[in-house]
Amino acid sequence: MIKYILTALILGAVAGYLNNNFGNLIANNWVSGYLFDFSLIVLLFLMGLAFGLNREAVAKLRKAGLKILVVPFSIALGSILGGLIGGLILRINVFASMAISAGYGWYTLAGPLVGQLFGVEFGALGFIVNFLRELLTIATISLTVKIDKYAPIAFGGATSMDTTLPVIVRYSGSESLIMAFSSGFTLSLIAPFTITAIAMLA
Amino acid sequence: MLDMLNLMISLIIGILLGLLLREKQHFDLSKVTFAAVVVLIFSMGFTIGSNNDLLASMQSIGVNAIIILLLSIFFSVAFVKLARRVVKLE
Repeated sequence: MIKYILTALILGAVAGYLNNNFGNLIANNWVSGYLFDFSLIVLLFLMGLAFGLNREAVAKLRKAGLKILVVPFSIALGSILGGLIGGLILRINVFASMAISAGYGWYTLAGPLVGQLFGVEFGALGFIVNFLRELLTIATISLTVKIDKYAPIAFGGATSMDTTLPVIVRYSGSESLIMAFSSGFTLSLIAPFTITAIAMLA
Repeated sequence: MLDMLNLMISLIIGILLGLLLREKQHFDLSKVTFAAVVVLIFSMGFTIGSNNDLLASMQSIGVNAIIILLLSIFFSVAFVKLARRVVKLE
């Protein structure tokens, strides 16, 4: 998955660069505006559909007890607070930096969505922050699991329901499977809502 | 404002439709979702690549990214540790 995403990103960037600097074959807005908006709307619809159709996730959550929801909500609060402080330190738009952190590692969503809401510069920042979150989760897991059994789940954020789930289970033990999945699922579900809600506050 | 509403609405329509259809049959959305992601990321790349000012500021964006990321992860872990103690979660 990751290599297709990076290939698409690089091909897009090269195409955009060439088109912009060597004779505008097509209007930039055709891709940056129409194609981008259309695919973002389609993706959000599909994500919603996948959440609605996912019967097992809600059943798993119910079985594990709603108490485990404190974990994803702590991760959400911690991430957004980190975004706020980061924005203040860097003297950039704090709503944008909070929205970026509210991607919880889901870079394919956070990059484009933040880009749509706060402009392309923050979109690029949002993609990089969340992309690195997934990489860092995997790269540092043998160390982070020593901080706390659930620290890798906090690192993984939204990715702990799919891409980082196998590694987390390997290091945190199989009993953490439900926690990792439920936390990642909850964060994935609230990510698009928190990002847009933060943009509405701005 | 309209943009945010459009985005929120398409997500909510998706969720409601999914809830309605969940008893009907099994859907495999992975292929079409993958296609949407690839097109979206391509057009995001295009937007970045066609913005010369943005390309010039990539280095500072990278530094900013690392600072925001490390703070987000630090507080995520701290809050999870704290919450586990408060609610006595195993």
